[in-house]
Amino acid sequence: MITTLVYGLTIGGILYIISIGLSLTFGSMRIVNFAHALVYTMGAYFLVVILRVLGLGFLLSAAIATVAVLPVAAGIERFVIRRLYGESLDYAIIATYAVLLIGVDLIKWVFGATPIPLSDPIGRDVDLFGISFPLYRLLIIAMALSIHAGLYLFFKRAIVGKIVVAGLEDKDAVRSLGIDVDRHFAIVFLIGSGLAALGGVLYAPITSVHPYMGFQILLVSFAVVIVGGMGSLRGTFLSSFALGMVIALTGRYWGPAAETMVFAVMAVVLIFKPLDV
Amino acid sequence: MTERLRRFDILLIAGAFLLLLPVLKFQRATDFIIFCIFVLSFDLLYGYMGRLSFGHMLFLGAGAYGVTLFADRVSPNPYLSILFAIAAAAAVGALLGPIAVRTTGAAFALINLAFNQIGHFLALIAFARFTGGEDGMSAVFSKAGFLDLQDKRVAFGFCLACLLLTCWGMKRLTASPFGILLRMIKENETRVKFLGYDTFRYKWAAYVLSAAVAGFAGALSILNYGYVTPSFIDTNRNVEVIFASLIGGAGSIYGSLVGGVVFMTISNYLATYIPRWEMFLGLGLLLLVFRFRAGIWGMVSTLEVFRPRREGEGR
Repeated sequence: MITTLVYGLTIGGILYIISIGLSLTFGSMRIVNFAHALVYTMGAYFLVVILRVLGLGFLLSAAIATVAVLPVAAGIERFVIRRLYGESLDYAIIATYAVLLIGVDLIKWVFGATPIPLSDPIGRDVDLFGISFPLYRLLIIAMALSIHAGLYLFFKRAIVGKIVVAGLEDKDAVRSLGIDVDRHFAIVFLIGSGLAALGGVLYAPITSVHPYMGFQILLVSFAVVIVGGMGSLRGTFLSSFALGMVIALTGRYWGPAAETMVFAVMAVVLIFKPLDV
Repeated sequence: MTERLRRFDILLIAGAFLLLLPVLKFQRATDFIIFCIFVLSFDLLYGYMGRLSFGHMLFLGAGAYGVTLFADRVSPNPYLSILFAIAAAAAVGALLGPIAVRTTGAAFALINLAFNQIGHFLALIAFARFTGGEDGMSAVFSKAGFLDLQDKRVAFGFCLACLLLTCWGMKRLTASPFGILLRMIKENETRVKFLGYDTFRYKWAAYVLSAAVAGFAGALSILNYGYVTPSFIDTNRNVEVIFASLIGGAGSIYGSLVGGVVFMTISNYLATYIPRWEMFLGLGLLLLVFRFRAGIWGMVSTLEVFRPRREGEGR
């Protein structure tokens, strides 16, 4: 049972790292960003390339892979997302989905469609409550917690974060102060994308790396964002760990149903809490 | 000129689809027709009511599995099976509608996506004993009445008749007060509420109707192919119908038909020449979103010749 709990926390941590970018992008730019899954997948593939070609250690490779994705994210922001401001949500969904299709096809072109397995980069277990856990999983949980703390401080203390929070509240008022809100939202987009790439990098050794890895996790992330409330930091935090638990507990009894259960929970949440977007 | 043409448009559509026959095999041409019915059902939600669904394959799949299971377990009569499939898809729509139609925009798209994912799971794994899981199952229909639908030529004629029926129904529907109300909901739902209409009921009705027509298309596909697989309910295929609707021009029956035919042509023929098919699809979608939002029919219908001349227009 404790193993399941730790597994749920790990999934929740990964989900949080991935979903927070999605949630912030929606809250700030009112754009449902399917290209988020592309950034996530690319993070994992960059990690594979760096591990294989450069032969660096895991931590260094992970850092480089995460940073290497940022120019791609910036390109997506500059050429697609920025042209969709103020447009109807439908077009944003379609356009970012198109970006995802193009990117996934590019990945298939370069790397092929066969899954690439990665081994546990630390490979050491820790004893906790008399049961041993892979250290790597505990590391992910710790990382998610510290990222949440970091983002919380960022939005509470840093001036950029404060501008973003104010912009979320009332964009026009902030703009009338002479602040370029869109540029600050773009920074948030990059932070979110970087975290998505980090999520891909961290999750890669647990699952395997394949071109469609983004699709499935994206759907779950959407569920996280909808359950937690779009644009809400704490809501996303709580709902990702709650849904991570749902996945772990369902997976314990009936493996194939694990991710579908998330959508059932989401539907139930929506029945009682209709959201207007 | 257009007004006069419009009166005979059902005949014109029939003629246009008959023109496909010299270039295509019967089964392929039937496939085109069925996809057009599916695009029409999608367009009722997207083009007329302004709700982008990212999970319309669910209803296609409900119809496809409905017709197969009915033919397999209850009666191989094709008409009864198709009726059952339509009812099954409508029932799914009626069940999910109250949750889905309360939302708009992104949430609507994502909720449908989630429903579709659940449906895919149910068909692929949970009910694999009944649906055959990954392998799918075949459907055998008996000869009913004077039509032998196993004959590809008869199936073509039957599906064409179904398409014309759907077009006629859609035409009547979109011109009716109900259709106008749907377009009003698309423009400004709050104002429609102000006028005293219970928009929830109308949206729900449109959702169920769209589901039923999509289920109809699914049932006909099984009639045409003879077997059902989880690909009929695959979430990732939703982009196809969205692309088709956009390329033709959303919010118009003719646009849906043009989009359906163009998309099927691209996916059937260009796909063999272009190895990177998904990339092509993605670039096409980007181009449509950023440059040609009106779609093919939208552009054609703005041409001077086709513009209906209004009374009082000084000419």
